[in-house]
Amino acid sequence: MVTMHCTSRALLTGAFGAALHRSSTLPPSFLVPCLASKQPASPFSTTTPLHARKDGNPSGGVSALRHTGPGKRQKLRSITPSQLPQPVRDPERRTSIVTDPDHGLWGFFNKERTSMPTPMDLVNHGRGWKTQELRGKDWEDLHRLWWVCVKEVNRLQTFLGEKRRVGSMYGDFEAEGRMKVIYATQNAIREVLTQRFYAWENARVAAMDDEEVNLYADPEKGEQAYVPREEPEQSEAEANEGTSLYSPPPPQGMSRGPEARI
Amino acid sequence: MATTAAIAPFRVGLKELYLPDFSVILHRTPGLPAHNAKFTVPLWFSKLDLRDYLYHAYNVRILSVRSYVKQQRIIEGDPKNPRPQPNRWHRPRAHKHMIVELEQPFVWPEEPEDYSAWNREEVKDSEAEQKKYGELMQPMGDAVVNEERRKSMREQAKALLEGRLKWKPTTSRSVGSMLSR
Repeated sequence: MVTMHCTSRALLTGAFGAALHRSSTLPPSFLVPCLASKQPASPFSTTTPLHARKDGNPSGGVSALRHTGPGKRQKLRSITPSQLPQPVRDPERRTSIVTDPDHGLWGFFNKERTSMPTPMDLVNHGRGWKTQELRGKDWEDLHRLWWVCVKEVNRLQTFLGEKRRVGSMYGDFEAEGRMKVIYATQNAIREVLTQRFYAWENARVAAMDDEEVNLYADPEKGEQAYVPREEPEQSEAEANEGTSLYSPPPPQGMSRGPEARI
Repeated sequence: MATTAAIAPFRVGLKELYLPDFSVILHRTPGLPAHNAKFTVPLWFSKLDLRDYLYHAYNVRILSVRSYVKQQRIIEGDPKNPRPQPNRWHRPRAHKHMIVELEQPFVWPEEPEDYSAWNREEVKDSEAEQKKYGELMQPMGDAVVNEERRKSMREQAKALLEGRLKWKPTTSRSVGSMLSR
């Protein structure tokens, strides 16, 4: 039997005595000393236990993302908890949201605004633009066409993403075919712009050696970039001897042929 | 179509990008409210990039963006290549997703009632068949039990024992009969 101190709480409150009068829920006799004694417990482990770092933050443990609700130290001065709006749990009683017909995200869908285009719709396309057809277009048109292609690719990728979510259906082959046409157009645009840049670069390099061209001319000040020299026309043999890339302009008498560039 | 405002509601960057070569994918998110939208963006994209892209390309204004990068599983070989490439283990490029809070709500169009236009039933059946035959190609393929054959054999044996059928030797002289199971 464990010796009990005279000020032991269990002894004073008579808990030990009260427990004996209980009928069926009596603990076994070998556990009686544990119930009676209220001696200070010492932990079995001697390692210092880890505590959560207390830095005195008044809003500690409060998180909106984790739905903890306001903490004990959070004071709602403008509104009482009873005045807070309650969520409508019944889905039928909720207000239905109407999408704006002019919403920008409709750009990710087809004209009919269905969730997915059918394979028959996807296959319904022509061929891409060719380099020859795009050469006559200016930068604004080419840039606009590029963005039309980009948005169509986004539309197709959105379809493929939705198809992946639903699973097990046709549409991959048709979408891939459509994308190939778009990539062909984009490649043609890139090719035209590259050729244009090369032509400009060649002209610039030729102009650097050319005496009749002034690359530093300021058109706003009225300076001429091309000032032809007033000399008698050179003979054909002399013109062919020239090592520079510059070729002399045709004689004034000769009529210019049709435009080489369409 | 609503016209784009002359001035963006946020500070626009100075870097101009022409002829972009990437795609931004919109996803259906039944679990998120209508004011949210989820996009898959290039891995180098930032939240500011997406805000700028949505405003200038689609005239969509947003209130906030959240992003996360999803790592892909390690795979063997190229999934697009029908020929198996064993032991070429690698981790494909991660995907970056961004969830956006829209100023105006957007509800996705309803799913079609039946997917017959996309031939869904036939594709499902063919996938089930392929899976069944694929099991036979696995290393444990010879342990796969053909329940139909077992049932048929049991019925034939029962018929023979009961006398309903009489055993006859096979009459065909083709080599195939030796190889069939």
